[in-house]
Amino acid sequence: MKRLIELTVNGELHELAVEPQATLLDVLREQLGLTGTKEGCGTGECGSCTVLLAGRPVLSCLVLAMECQGQEVTTIEGLSVDGRLTPVQQAFQDRGAVQCGFCTPGMVLAATALLTENPRPSEAEIKKGLEGNLCRCTGYNKIIEAVKLAAESFNQK
Amino acid sequence: MEDTLDYVGKPVPRKDGPEKVTGRARYTVDIRLPGMLVGGILRSPHPHARILNIDTSQARRLPGVKAVITAADTAGVKHGFVETPRYPADQDPLATDRVRFVGEEVAAVAATDPYVLAEALDLIRVDYEPLPAVFDPEEAMQPEAPEIHPSHPLVKEPFSNIAGKTETQWGDVELAFEMSDYVRQDRFESHLRTHGYLEPQATVASFEPGGKLRVWTSSQGPFIKRAKLARTLGLPYSAVRVSKAWVGGAFGGKIDLFSHEFCAALLSMKAGRPVRIEASREEIFTAYRHGQPLILEIKTGVKKDGTIMAQKIRTVNNCGANRGSGVVVIFLAWGFVMLPYRLPNLKYEGYAVYTNNPIRTPQRGHGAPQVRFAVESQLDMIAEELEIDPVEIRLKNARQSGERLPNGDNVHNCGLTQCIEKAAEHTRFREKYGEKYGRGRSQPPQTNEQTPSGSIRRGIGMGVSAYFGGSLIYPNSSSCVVKMGEEGGATLLTGAIDIGQGAETILSQIVAEELKIPVDEIQVIAADTETTPVDIGAWISGSAYVSGNAARVAATQVRRKLMHLAAEELGVPVEELDMAQKSVYMVRSPEKRLSYRQIVEASIRKRRGDSIIGEGHWRTMRDEPTHPSLASTKGRWSENYAFDVQVAEVEVDIQTGHARLIRAVTAHDCGFPINPLLVEGQIDGQVSMALGHAFMEELLMKDGRTLNPSWLDYRMPTAHNTAISEYIDVITEAYKKDAPYRTKEVGEGYVSAILGAIANAIYDAVGVRLVSTPFTPEKILRGLGKLT
Ligand code: FES
Ligand code: FES
Repeated sequence: MKRLIELTVNGELHELAVEPQATLLDVLREQLGLTGTKEGCGTGECGSCTVLLAGRPVLSCLVLAMECQGQEVTTIEGLSVDGRLTPVQQAFQDRGAVQCGFCTPGMVLAATALLTENPRPSEAEIKKGLEGNLCRCTGYNKIIEAVKLAAESFNQK
Repeated sequence: MEDTLDYVGKPVPRKDGPEKVTGRARYTVDIRLPGMLVGGILRSPHPHARILNIDTSQARRLPGVKAVITAADTAGVKHGFVETPRYPADQDPLATDRVRFVGEEVAAVAATDPYVLAEALDLIRVDYEPLPAVFDPEEAMQPEAPEIHPSHPLVKEPFSNIAGKTETQWGDVELAFEMSDYVRQDRFESHLRTHGYLEPQATVASFEPGGKLRVWTSSQGPFIKRAKLARTLGLPYSAVRVSKAWVGGAFGGKIDLFSHEFCAALLSMKAGRPVRIEASREEIFTAYRHGQPLILEIKTGVKKDGTIMAQKIRTVNNCGANRGSGVVVIFLAWGFVMLPYRLPNLKYEGYAVYTNNPIRTPQRGHGAPQVRFAVESQLDMIAEELEIDPVEIRLKNARQSGERLPNGDNVHNCGLTQCIEKAAEHTRFREKYGEKYGRGRSQPPQTNEQTPSGSIRRGIGMGVSAYFGGSLIYPNSSSCVVKMGEEGGATLLTGAIDIGQGAETILSQIVAEELKIPVDEIQVIAADTETTPVDIGAWISGSAYVSGNAARVAATQVRRKLMHLAAEELGVPVEELDMAQKSVYMVRSPEKRLSYRQIVEASIRKRRGDSIIGEGHWRTMRDEPTHPSLASTKGRWSENYAFDVQVAEVEVDIQTGHARLIRAVTAHDCGFPINPLLVEGQIDGQVSMALGHAFMEELLMKDGRTLNPSWLDYRMPTAHNTAISEYIDVITEAYKKDAPYRTKEVGEGYVSAILGAIANAIYDAVGVRLVSTPFTPEKILRGLGKLT
């Protein structure tokens, strides 16, 4: 039996009828068409489904949609304002931290959450912040560099 | 006069970056079509069994089920990675009377939602009669082993289950061994690894009224997918259109036809609605195609000074239940042996052996990591015996520019010697290697890990590799179209697919350079079998070279048209003109210029509507009929070869046996790097992948079943498992405007040398010689005598 929930996604309020077993990831991708959030495994191992729930990074494949009743969700589509890239997005682009791009939305959100919490992370803290996000293409070095670069521009503001 | 380069050779950020960092990039799994059904596959639970009966009647009756297919619904056409007269296609898209591995596809269903789908798959009844199975290749070769397929008719030895054999020789190996000062034989084994692409395998197929099959699929080239889909479905090529979606990584794992692609298409044809099939991660780990573990026996003879006299090599490849690319690996293993070092005498034989394991496919390097691990390890063993340092022995044997390979190919520009020297110098290899530094010396850890420093040993090792850049396999060639836009920008039409390597960016840079139009103003239409010209694909290591030259030729044509028209308009000879910033100007008085916009207008006016379009084509080894013989290695293989040297610095903890890669230095001859930023990305990714292979990743199988089908248990590198990655470009080609150039491959060779380098570095650190991958704590502790 479907249940009705309210969900604010990227600042927009949605009223949604969801299956009890539907995950937040299912609802974002299948019901709201927000396909920027990726599913690499569906079982909490890869981080590609990372979104911000009430500002905190979560694996949307492990969160039931019903548990999110009344909450605010930010997906990759909700980050850039007026088509301008955020410092994290820009740094990923400039530093070659993107290859196939499948891990990128999750990485960008994890990095954004990290920098919001800790604007001057050490390298060890960056690694810790990204440890739940797999990337097969880049070997992480350029991603870590990008986060450092983004931190600089965060802190200049 | 040397042209100044504005766009090639520059670290231009990816064109697809903005789309990807904002989540707008659309992958196959993101495609939504009205009325789309979800498809799924029923797989064999047995490693080997006869199919007695399949009953789908209950599944068909379930509300919400729109189509069910089994082998009986297919056209009965087989396919294979290799389809040649010697090695004809041997895979059924759906199993007919027998299954040969756990996970083999038996039936497929399309339903209105995933819940109905799961129930329907449960309702299909298959009666099996289990058969004896065999999983180890050397056991499978025994005459009394269970027969998976009959041995290849042209293989005369009394072995069972031989899918194919590669055999070649030159010189006189036995005589050369006699003339050698030192001869040794070793056996090396490698383990089962997988690609680990983040985007799952997925296909959307939509059979449209009028008879056109539209397909989006996560692939490494739409043209080969179209060919194989059309043939197995019994459709003409023209009835199948494979279109672009971004690809979330492939690494060799998405080249040939997969059953889910065939099933999505056939289900859509049956149901009259679009169908999407997306493999679960567990399915990918258990039933999809992985890389290929090799057993290599190598006998090498050398002179006292380290000169290699002869090698005798036997390779056994565990190639799974069908031929897959197993017969390609045993051919390539020969190639990866003979490429980097002079080898006057060789006797090579390689066997691909059927086992009841999933079918195999290329995995980045396609045999090179396994082969180079073996050869480079043995070379260090020899060097030690002869008391020559590892750098010296490599320099002694390295191939030089212009050398002819035993198969007749020419290596052309070969920067291998320079690579070895630069890598050694950069890493201070000679100072660090051996007694002074490694070999049991206690070291403070370089990392800020909490390790008791007393137990850390450091070591350094070197490895060499070489790789081909493009060969002749369908579709053999690439074409491109470049058309001018009315505002002076240009559009590139290419069949190339960007799987993360940056194909669209690189091709745009080439067009931008030829036409002096900013990269941002080059629009790309890519990877669509209907609207873009044919492309060789992103899996034969020839993308930048073959498609790159096609793009260059197309842009050159446009360039000529622009120049000639401008010459006419300005009333001066073409030789007095040059281009910059989207305009043609007179070299002597640069204020006399025409913008491209003006030239295009003039062309349309004066040339009966010619809006300025160029076409370009490229085929490697222009007159060669086809690829070399997989069985005999005869025939040309490639016309450009890349070389690389990698140095690994490792730390080994003698208490725990844990080894880690601290630093990797890659010195490589990549011809001309069109985009150094992307080249760095390729190197980093390969170093990371090799690090995973060396220390972390192993797909564990028992009786054909995968024991660790998740990323929790199959451990890929995370942000914590990184190494410092440094690069030294040895540039052996210039980019010349209007002239062909040889970019070399950068996507596969650099996962290879590093593996041998790591093994050699571990030996340097603790004196433990590892002859099999992965390099686990257990093996190291055993080598240290701390485990028995
Ligand atoms: S899809 Fe959620 S962690 Fe992989
Ligand atoms: S860019 Fe491909 S997985 Fe990270």
